Amino acid sequence: MASNLEWRPDSALAPTLTPPRLDPGNTERTAGELSRRTFLRYSAATALALGTAAVHSGRRVTAAETIGLPAATSSHPIRVIDCHAHLNHRSRSTWEADDRKLIDAADRLRIEQLCCSILTPRRPATVEGFRECNQWVSDGIRRFPGRVRGYCYVNPGHSQEALDEIRRCVEQRGFIGIKLYNEHTCTEPIVFPIVELAIQLNVPILQHAGHAHYPLEGQPHISDGSHLAELSRRYPEAKLICAHICGGGDWEWTIKALRRAPGVFLDTSGSVTDAGVLEFAAQVLGVHRLLFGCDNSMTAGMGRIRGANLSAADKAKILGGNMARLLPSLAALPS
Amino acid sequence: MIVDANAYLGPFAFRRLRPNTAPTLLQLMDVKRIDRAIVSSASAIAYRNVQAANEELAAEVTPHRDRLVPFAVLNPFYSGWEDDLKICHEDFGMRGLRLYPKWHNYQLADPCCLELVHAATERGWIVSIPARVEDHRQRSWLVDVPDVPLDELATLIKACPRARFLLLNGLNYASMQLGRKDNGLPANYLIELSRLTALLNNELGQLMANLGPERLVFGSGMPFSYPDPALLKLEVLAAPEEAKAKIRGQNIARWLVA
Repeated sequence: MASNLEWRPDSALAPTLTPPRLDPGNTERTAGELSRRTFLRYSAATALALGTAAVHSGRRVTAAETIGLPAATSSHPIRVIDCHAHLNHRSRSTWEADDRKLIDAADRLRIEQLCCSILTPRRPATVEGFRECNQWVSDGIRRFPGRVRGYCYVNPGHSQEALDEIRRCVEQRGFIGIKLYNEHTCTEPIVFPIVELAIQLNVPILQHAGHAHYPLEGQPHISDGSHLAELSRRYPEAKLICAHICGGGDWEWTIKALRRAPGVFLDTSGSVTDAGVLEFAAQVLGVHRLLFGCDNSMTAGMGRIRGANLSAADKAKILGGNMARLLPSLAALPS
Repeated sequence: MIVDANAYLGPFAFRRLRPNTAPTLLQLMDVKRIDRAIVSSASAIAYRNVQAANEELAAEVTPHRDRLVPFAVLNPFYSGWEDDLKICHEDFGMRGLRLYPKWHNYQLADPCCLELVHAATERGWIVSIPARVEDHRQRSWLVDVPDVPLDELATLIKACPRARFLLLNGLNYASMQLGRKDNGLPANYLIELSRLTALLNNELGQLMANLGPERLVFGSGMPFSYPDPALLKLEVLAAPEEAKAKIRGQNIARWLVA
């Protein structure tokens, strides 16, 4: 069934609809900086994720309070960073409005930053195709300053062009990582120069991944947890992210496959809302390896963090602390 | 008042479910401020003789009938379903039916299924049908159960205008007959929201516009799913509080009273 073979954000499967603006009053971003009002809203993010009210006794709670610490310790604000998001390909007639909806959705869920890529509609991606996508991501970074970060998407099959594109995106455009899809399994030697460049540039690779117990027609080269573990053994210094555990098939299999691969982080995104996935991942991998993401399944992404039976401190790490540690450039809040 | 129209008790064949007992599910409901839940047996999905699972469910919920509303899982192609229906209604006090046509390998349009739906309707039961149990991509190597197509649900609904249907675990209604305005179908079905979007393409908003908030109900899928994503959808949904209250519990409560 073709619909089961595309590991892509659910929103891409759904019909294009035009709901009313969800947050028409949000105008404080235009200066490209986080205003105090916005900052307070971000601080309320953890309240949302923890399932607690953002307002107590008529005042906003601090981020620290929401995770059970005294208000006086709130000098360390909670970060909420979506490690896996997508802006829209411009072959979609509504791309501009849909990008805006993504930012609005992030506002509603108090997500501070979205780490985005754009994929070509058809794979394998051509050089022109991935360059175009990355140009649009770069535009997105400018259109939504402080909110959108970029992953550089390449097809490793175009070896030199892919390496050149990564250098251009990271060194000149400020992209924070590399996105690899399913053109090649990540353990194929053709991928190794990209991993080596990622190490050199000190950026992570978000690797599309999934494991199903049947052949994935249409995705013969999809990577899974065992491939990422193998790649991590070859390059222990690489920062690898296994994409969308909640949209990549048998999540118990994947988590167990990553147990002994400490260099691989796990992106919690996806549309599947199975209970227990985060607790199992925390038990097997450790909380320090889990990264909050939505992959454009917004309420699923935030809801599972909120629902997980984990401590507030652990949830804060997953929501953004771990990603900020992985990406030193995100460590400091914008002034 | 929050009423969860889509909850389960007991073990599932292919994955551990927690919490899956009545006391532990109620604890979770307390934490999430869910007042009542419609529950059916997760075991029954894979049992051949589903009545054994209904018996287990009845025993589990008996001390908690004020909050847990049991629905029976029945298979219209399994011998004795008529007796099982009678027992589930008259002895166990169950309030509705949950059908798994793909898991139990029958067609919704088959006369045997229609007979069961009519019999349940005669008893005043609600007929609930989950479009899926788990995400198809993570299915076991042992089974390959497709989702229930929405057009098959529409055909059944049209064939049984006196019945009351509760459609669970589905999505993309808005682009299909079931979710369109003036769709020619009887207004005898409610759509549960656990897989609908409330942001981005906002299918919940579309269905509110097309069908009205009276036709939507809250459901979480717990303990298969965390309840929080479904709760969060209602929180972020751009809708008047009055409409949210209907979805949160009033709509399904009205059906349960009726």
